[in-house]
Amino acid sequence: MTADIAPVQPDSATALIRQRRLSLGDPLLGWAVRILSWSALAAIILMLLDTAGHSLKLLEHTSILDFLFGILWQPASTVYGALPFIYGTVVTSLLALFLAVPLALGAALLVNEFLPLRVASPLAYSIELLAAVPSVVYGFWGVIVLVPALRPLEQAVAGSPLGQIPLFSGPVPGPSYLAAGVILAIMIVPIVTSVARDAMRATPRLQREGALALGATHWETIRHVVLPFARGGIFAGVILGLSRAIGETIAVLFVIGNQPQINASIFAPGYSLPSVIAGEFAEANQPFHPEALIGLGVVLFLLSFTVNVAARVVVGRFEARAGGADVR
Amino acid sequence: MAPMFAEHSLHSISRSRRSRNRLVYLLCLVAGAIALLPLVLILFYLLVEGLKAWSPAFLVSPPGGITSKSGGAMNAILGTLEMTGLGLAIATPMGLAVALYVAEYREGRLAVIVRTAVDLVAGIPSIVIGLFVYSLVVITMGHFSGFAGAVALSLIMLPIIARTSEEMFKIVPRRLREGTMALAMPRWRAIVAVYIPTVAAGIVTGIVLAVSRAVGETAPLLFTSLGSNFVVTDLNQPMSALPLYMFQNALNIGFPAARERAWAAALTLVAIVLIFNVLGRWLAGRTQLKVR
Repeated sequence: MTADIAPVQPDSATALIRQRRLSLGDPLLGWAVRILSWSALAAIILMLLDTAGHSLKLLEHTSILDFLFGILWQPASTVYGALPFIYGTVVTSLLALFLAVPLALGAALLVNEFLPLRVASPLAYSIELLAAVPSVVYGFWGVIVLVPALRPLEQAVAGSPLGQIPLFSGPVPGPSYLAAGVILAIMIVPIVTSVARDAMRATPRLQREGALALGATHWETIRHVVLPFARGGIFAGVILGLSRAIGETIAVLFVIGNQPQINASIFAPGYSLPSVIAGEFAEANQPFHPEALIGLGVVLFLLSFTVNVAARVVVGRFEARAGGADVR
Repeated sequence: MAPMFAEHSLHSISRSRRSRNRLVYLLCLVAGAIALLPLVLILFYLLVEGLKAWSPAFLVSPPGGITSKSGGAMNAILGTLEMTGLGLAIATPMGLAVALYVAEYREGRLAVIVRTAVDLVAGIPSIVIGLFVYSLVVITMGHFSGFAGAVALSLIMLPIIARTSEEMFKIVPRRLREGTMALAMPRWRAIVAVYIPTVAAGIVTGIVLAVSRAVGETAPLLFTSLGSNFVVTDLNQPMSALPLYMFQNALNIGFPAARERAWAAALTLVAIVLIFNVLGRWLAGRTQLKVR
């Protein structure tokens, strides 16, 4: 690696100085790095401002409160309310977390604590590969396999006494908040598992062995040593999963049913912020329709930004307390 | 890895504690199995349905209409190659520059701002990246284009490349740094001739992972490159890409031919993405980078 470096061998101090002065390389590379970095920064800021600017045009038509809290979205009569989409994003993301977190924690514990390495590594690797599958493939698979498979289940619940609760009431058309939640759960299990696993793996060996030496069972060791130690990292994984679920577009578009409505039942079709942008932007030709969709994009940006910042703050606090795991 | 149930042989552990331990193990087994189930199912459907529809001709035939039986994905494959290529040509030097600026030059507050901005982009949903590029490039140029799509993909790749390269520059061994100083090497020489070759594997890892991410992205292309039913090589024109092609066919699953093309595209896409991903992970394992 270092063989091809011709060492500088100054005969005297002046030779060294002359070499320094004549070298164009330093300012050249320095300025190239600076200009590229600054232009990346400038492009990012410019795009943020430009997008915000385009969405602000909507305010000539709809006030900010009417937009954020409006429950009607009817582009044909130029009524733009964002609440159905905000609701859809929140409901599907929470459903996804509710389903994915226990699975991911169980899988992480299994791979880290219970199985021998020979079995655990290929298992963990396979779960992580799931994260690489493109979302359009998940969406397509969701329409063809998941939605038809979920429907009888949803019908059974809606027909049972549970169906009296608005949350589980019929009718059951197929595409639904639940289907979107399940697809999102499948998509975020790998990332939550992988971050939680790293956090658990960072538990000091001495503490673990200490607990075992005191006669704790495996589960007691996990509960009193591993989980408290990995808490911050696990939380980070959950938030990372949440932030992916909030922003997921294409997969949700395929299975949520694309109805701009607010419905208490998780078996009803709905719409989410990212999926409505993808679904309607190409055909947005009503007055202010594109601006309203860009406005939804700004809302989505702020939502995911808030989640990320909140996560950083909370994880920072965990880390300060526990000196815990490596957290991104 | 701790030994499994070594404590079971000890008589001092009560029955209830033992059975609780067993119960948790079983629950974890069930959770792991359920977590793995979608992978098995998706791969199964991809192979069964995809192989039925896939043929080498699919890769090199121009597309037909939605209902036509024939038609391949040549337009999409060319588009993916061109846009990912151009995106990479933008994102690689920028990502490297950002990494050097943040890890080597460290010019005070400005470096922190640059890093924060690039981190911010990593957290932005990809559909919003599409909107950004629509606002800045598509509206400015007045039309959809492969170029706009490439810019969108470069924004997806930039944070990945910048982040992995930065991590790598940070772990350049101290003795190498001291060596360059002892030789009175100018900074650019140290960077170009010592640091970059030392961390090259890590930089390549970042690039490979960034490609594996960008190749599969649909959302940022929807209203930047838009898609096209013609074999286009001009980056100034609207352009298709494999995920876009699959998306547009998958929306028409009422037509059996479109459904078949969607499966064939899915198989091709997943194969490409997984090859890059596995390669990236393998490289990362050799350089002790963390993949996420």
